[in-house]
Amino acid sequence: MEMNGRKWASALYVTFSVTFLLLGWELLSLAVNNPALPGPLPALTAFFRELAGGLWGHFLVSSYRVVISLVISLVLAVPCGMVMGREEKVDRLVAPLIYIIYPVPKIVFLPVLMVLLGIQDASKITLITLVVFFQILVPIRDAARGINPDLVNSVKSLGARRRDIYLHVVWPAVLPEVLTSLRIASGTAIAVLFFSETISSQEGLGYYLLDAWSRAVYTEMFAGIIAMSLLGFIIYTVLEHLERWACPWKYV
Amino acid sequence: MSANGELMVRVRGLSVSYQQQNKEIPALRDVSFSVPKGSTCALIGPSGCGKSTLLYVLSGLLRSWSGEVLVDGAPVTSCRRQTALILQDYGLLPWKKVYDNVALGLDIRGESREKKYIKVKRVLNEVGLWEMRQRYPSQLSGGQRQRTGIARALALEPDLLLMDEPFSSLDALTREKLQRQLLEIWQEKRMTVVLVTHSIEEAIFLGQRIILLSGSPGRVLDIVENPRVGEAGYRKTAEFHALTTKLREKLVPERVEISGGAGRWK
Repeated sequence: MEMNGRKWASALYVTFSVTFLLLGWELLSLAVNNPALPGPLPALTAFFRELAGGLWGHFLVSSYRVVISLVISLVLAVPCGMVMGREEKVDRLVAPLIYIIYPVPKIVFLPVLMVLLGIQDASKITLITLVVFFQILVPIRDAARGINPDLVNSVKSLGARRRDIYLHVVWPAVLPEVLTSLRIASGTAIAVLFFSETISSQEGLGYYLLDAWSRAVYTEMFAGIIAMSLLGFIIYTVLEHLERWACPWKYV
Repeated sequence: MSANGELMVRVRGLSVSYQQQNKEIPALRDVSFSVPKGSTCALIGPSGCGKSTLLYVLSGLLRSWSGEVLVDGAPVTSCRRQTALILQDYGLLPWKKVYDNVALGLDIRGESREKKYIKVKRVLNEVGLWEMRQRYPSQLSGGQRQRTGIARALALEPDLLLMDEPFSSLDALTREKLQRQLLEIWQEKRMTVVLVTHSIEEAIFLGQRIILLSGSPGRVLDIVENPRVGEAGYRKTAEFHALTTKLREKLVPERVEISGGAGRWK
């Protein structure tokens, strides 16, 4: 009964915010009065029409690139972050390197990557991974370092070896941080994806968007923008649910 | 008093210091005492007297110290399996349910699922928490959390139980109940218990031997024998109260109390 009420309320809020967004968009396009900013109705019409055409394919290609990049970043950054946060000797050796590379805008390496890895998926995935890796690594390292030493000690007193500490303490302790940082990084990942797909590319949402722009078909350009937003929204929502599923103790 | 072989813990000339901003700060200096097998011992002293440090040494987690520390006749090591340590905040993992927290030590030892279930069920029933096994620590009261910590230690069937201020964060009623429960467990299993406390009453209620430590660095002020621990109604006896007064005088010299009190009225 109460659960049902809450679901209704939540649905109401979503409806309200979507309406608000569309209304704002419509008003803005009316105010600007320029074909470069079509209203929501023509844009959405174009989106659904294009989806049946080539847009769906581009959407899949982009999704694939982003998801693979996020997975690779995760697989690399989480173990590195945990070890750096827990093993002082490793950290002292590696941290300076990380701090030098972290602020470098990795996006400038795209030309280099394209020369080395070609203009296909590999260079794009590598570029996104380069950016996202650090965005996950640094918070994980800090989270691992911040674990209450009493927690580690009490588990050690149960006879835990290093492997047990990582398994029972460090990994679950950083897990919420993994998912949060991934959620934040997903936005950056899509931005980098867009950029990489606009340069000598034949497929992907970035290419689609740029192509529509060069042909000055603004409704199609907006169909691409909607698709890109949708991609971000889906990843964000999935990660949020993943956190609820993977960290149940945070929601009791 | 007891022969060497009957001692569970023997500490001789233990000194510990730790580094803080490149300065060496002494925590314990020349501490010597012993605890016979199957008895209880309370360590009491002002905060900052190195009580917890002492416990860390006994558990083997702290390794930089000088002196001699024997546990069950052998030099102390961190891998001694029969030593259990319960820290002040009980050291429960927030991401594990009560059942899994209690099973953790058995997990680490690679016990089979069936064996684990039998042991966890037994100790959780002993502390009256079997019904709560599916809860997370954040869903428990302070007393229940402490009992979970005790259950986790008991699951390993220790012969030496080290406790750091086990009941200090609990309300008075829960504290008394758990103190009694601890005594019952001790009387049944007869393991050696070493507990750190800052409560004089708790030290007398639970410690057959009470070791008084002075403030920084911690030194042994006195060792008081308290053989009536565990007798029914001990807390209400005149002897209990006499001992309370005696310990209070030793730990808190009269003149300090007066000057402190006068200071407040100025």
